Amino acid sequence: MPLALICKALIAILLVAFAAPWAHADGGLLPVPVLTGPVIDQTGTLSASDKAALETQLQTLEQTRGAQVVVLMVPTTAPEDIASFANRVGNTWKIGRRDVGDGVLVIVAKNDRKMRIEVAKALEGAVPDIAAARIIDGAMKPRFQQSDYAGGLRDAVTQLSARIAGEALPAPASNSGTAVHSPDTSRDGFDWTDLAIFLFFGVMVAGPVMRSIFGSRLGGLLMGGGVGLLAFVVTSSLIVAGGAGLLALLYTWIFGGTGGGSSRRRGRGGAAVGGWGAGVGGGGWSGGGSSSDSGGFSSGGGGDFGGGGASGDW
Amino acid sequence: MIQRIFALLTALLALSALTGCGYNDFQRLDEQSKAAWSEVLNQYQRRADLVPNIVATVKGEANFEQETLTRVVEARAKATSIQVTPETLNNPEAFNKFQQAQGELSGALSRLMVVSERYPTLQANQGFRDLRVTLEGTENRITVARNRYIQTVQEYNVLARSFPTNLTAIAFSYAPKPSFTVANEAQISAPPTVDFSASKPKP
Repeated sequence: MPLALICKALIAILLVAFAAPWAHADGGLLPVPVLTGPVIDQTGTLSASDKAALETQLQTLEQTRGAQVVVLMVPTTAPEDIASFANRVGNTWKIGRRDVGDGVLVIVAKNDRKMRIEVAKALEGAVPDIAAARIIDGAMKPRFQQSDYAGGLRDAVTQLSARIAGEALPAPASNSGTAVHSPDTSRDGFDWTDLAIFLFFGVMVAGPVMRSIFGSRLGGLLMGGGVGLLAFVVTSSLIVAGGAGLLALLYTWIFGGTGGGSSRRRGRGGAAVGGWGAGVGGGGWSGGGSSSDSGGFSSGGGGDFGGGGASGDW
Repeated sequence: MIQRIFALLTALLALSALTGCGYNDFQRLDEQSKAAWSEVLNQYQRRADLVPNIVATVKGEANFEQETLTRVVEARAKATSIQVTPETLNNPEAFNKFQQAQGELSGALSRLMVVSERYPTLQANQGFRDLRVTLEGTENRITVARNRYIQTVQEYNVLARSFPTNLTAIAFSYAPKPSFTVANEAQISAPPTVDFSASKPKP
């Protein structure tokens, strides 16, 4: 039956078409794991208590020194070698405080029998390549050879902490200081200057037009509302939108005001709109801003990994 | 009044056209690629500075293969003799020459490291092991810096060649920039010959 054949062929094509992107996502490279905590074990090697002890050790370091060290265990890094995989993971996670960039990534590829300490640029002075190599050779390698992964990692983290403690890094902010900056809330590449310039000229041009069409009071209100709406749509920040709208409104009212007897109305309208802007800004935005952090581990978002560190095997 | 509005409108149009045609993007990416290029040079310099130390350490090893050592020294001299400036970026010929010289140094150094495996006393030397780690780290940094340069240049070149912005590129003469290529493409794509019959030279 040709129809059945065609149906089968179509299904096959569909399957291939939809399966192919999944199979070859990212050019076949290993996907970067989700950063869920300071210790990520994809191999199931560490026992729960070992993992908890290591996490405590790393959290203590972050609280006292501010530097973020993350331990990642994967079965293999194929098809990449461990150095480029570590660099890719580091630059995706960007561990390290936002304004300092002090992050270290310890990666163990268990089945490849390879490990790497990837150091962010800010810590290359505290942990130079030679020091990283000594930590690998002295602390990790002998223990890994005896399958004591938890012990090797513990010693490595202890030595790393000692080295980081010797570096004059800025003191960590209060407890919540580093956690507030999650990378998701960072700016999305939007150019604020462009918007500001655009709105500035837009108001100067459109303001007089609106006034002449709708009269000074309604024109100003429309102008303020329009600019505020536009600013809100683009920046999705009520404070910015309220501020921009208020500025536009005041500009339209005050600038080029030819009407003589509207000073009383002007003052009252301005105050009302100002109250609205402040009210909405205070109420809605601050709540939304702080609710995105659940208090868990998050990357500082400042680490820049330039290929520093050392690799080793066992 | 109408005239004033008209003038402002023109100013607004000119401004939005300027940002819309990618002029600012060209500025940003041009500077970014220059910075990325400087980082590449920086890391190559770091490697060139490392070579004398490695050579001095290896020389201490009696009867080390002289030919390998000489090749490293010569390749370094050649690589450092090439004057590189940010303008090299706009000169594909000089760029290729620079890349080739650095490639030769890479080859000579990796050959040196392979040969050094045959000398147990050298392998046991802590100073040499440290230098080896440093060289390895430097090679990694070079890879990262080159990678970043390639990405920036790609972004820049796409902007310089795709439609509305290529007019800006022509008007302000922003030519596409050269990027790194593999120097010995034919050599790499040929399968390696494996020969177990030849006897290893004794150290």
